[in-house]
Amino acid sequence: MVVYSFYIFDRHTECIYTRRWNQRPPSASKPVRPQSGASLTSNGDTIPGARKGLSREDDAKLIFGTIFSLRNMVKRLGGEDDVFISYRTGDYKLHYYETPTRLKFVMLTDTKTNNLRIVLQQIWANLYVEFVVKNPLSPVEHPGGVGVANELFEMGLDSFITQVFPS
Amino acid sequence: MYAPARSSTSHMQRPKLTTLRAVFSLLIINKAGGLVYNRKFTAGLNDLSSNDLLIMAGTFHGVHEISRSIAPAPSQPSHIPLSTSSSSTATAGTTIQQNPTTLRASGIEVFESATFRLQCFQTLTRTKFLLLTEPQQPNVEVILRRIHELYADFVMKNPFQTLEMPIRCEKFDRAVDGFVRVRG
Repeated sequence: MVVYSFYIFDRHTECIYTRRWNQRPPSASKPVRPQSGASLTSNGDTIPGARKGLSREDDAKLIFGTIFSLRNMVKRLGGEDDVFISYRTGDYKLHYYETPTRLKFVMLTDTKTNNLRIVLQQIWANLYVEFVVKNPLSPVEHPGGVGVANELFEMGLDSFITQVFPS
Repeated sequence: MYAPARSSTSHMQRPKLTTLRAVFSLLIINKAGGLVYNRKFTAGLNDLSSNDLLIMAGTFHGVHEISRSIAPAPSQPSHIPLSTSSSSTATAGTTIQQNPTTLRASGIEVFESATFRLQCFQTLTRTKFLLLTEPQQPNVEVILRRIHELYADFVMKNPFQTLEMPIRCEKFDRAVDGFVRVRG
């Protein structure tokens, strides 16, 4: 069980917290961005590993786009009560949890990890609510991630993750 | 020592023991992201209009591509571009024989919600087979491979079938129906 990264998105679709673990340093190869003019069929031929080197913001935006689309798909197919839980590719698995206030918690792990919905919910209830929401100095909304990445939250997250993923 | 090959197991139509689980529907998406086939087996999910289904297929196609590019871990080094040119077909061909799984694109393979599970099987020619099942349905990959075989038999061998166009083939309908009823 390896955890790769963790993201929080607020209800304004903004990424307010990013955390990565066990990341390889970015490879020396030049970042290859998909050309906006290129058709999707043609870039199916690129090597899957070739698009490393996207910036963190790009990654977060792509992840948000993915979960947004999948979440809408789930709502359309399974009805309003249905919730998107996770997806798995050959390389990683993405876990998703959404609070009633539309705060979205996303965690990327390796493919062998079981369902982490409970873990994400606990991060919300025990860490986010305790250290971010109840922090009197933190603003109500977090534009640009202000107030989320405080010391207590980060420490709590670190120790919680090392508990859940003993290495 | 004599482990049966994957294709031979999928050929066998063993009667399943106790599977009252549901296979909801099958979608086939061509390599351009268009929906070419859609078949519903069991009620259980919302009925979508054909327009909504087309949108869904296109969305999934896009998300499938994006999901490959946000892979956090370095993927296996044995990935080889599929259709570069004829010059590399010899080497690519040998790799396919050695290990067919490494060449599979690493887009979304399984996608779960509270009420259904979507298994995606992408062929080497980038046609996607999506099977919507209940979350507990076993052996979905085997079912998809068998459906791919049926597709090869009844759709690709149909002389009136145009590539990448909607599939209207009664024999395929019947074969898929029969197979899913037995297995699912």
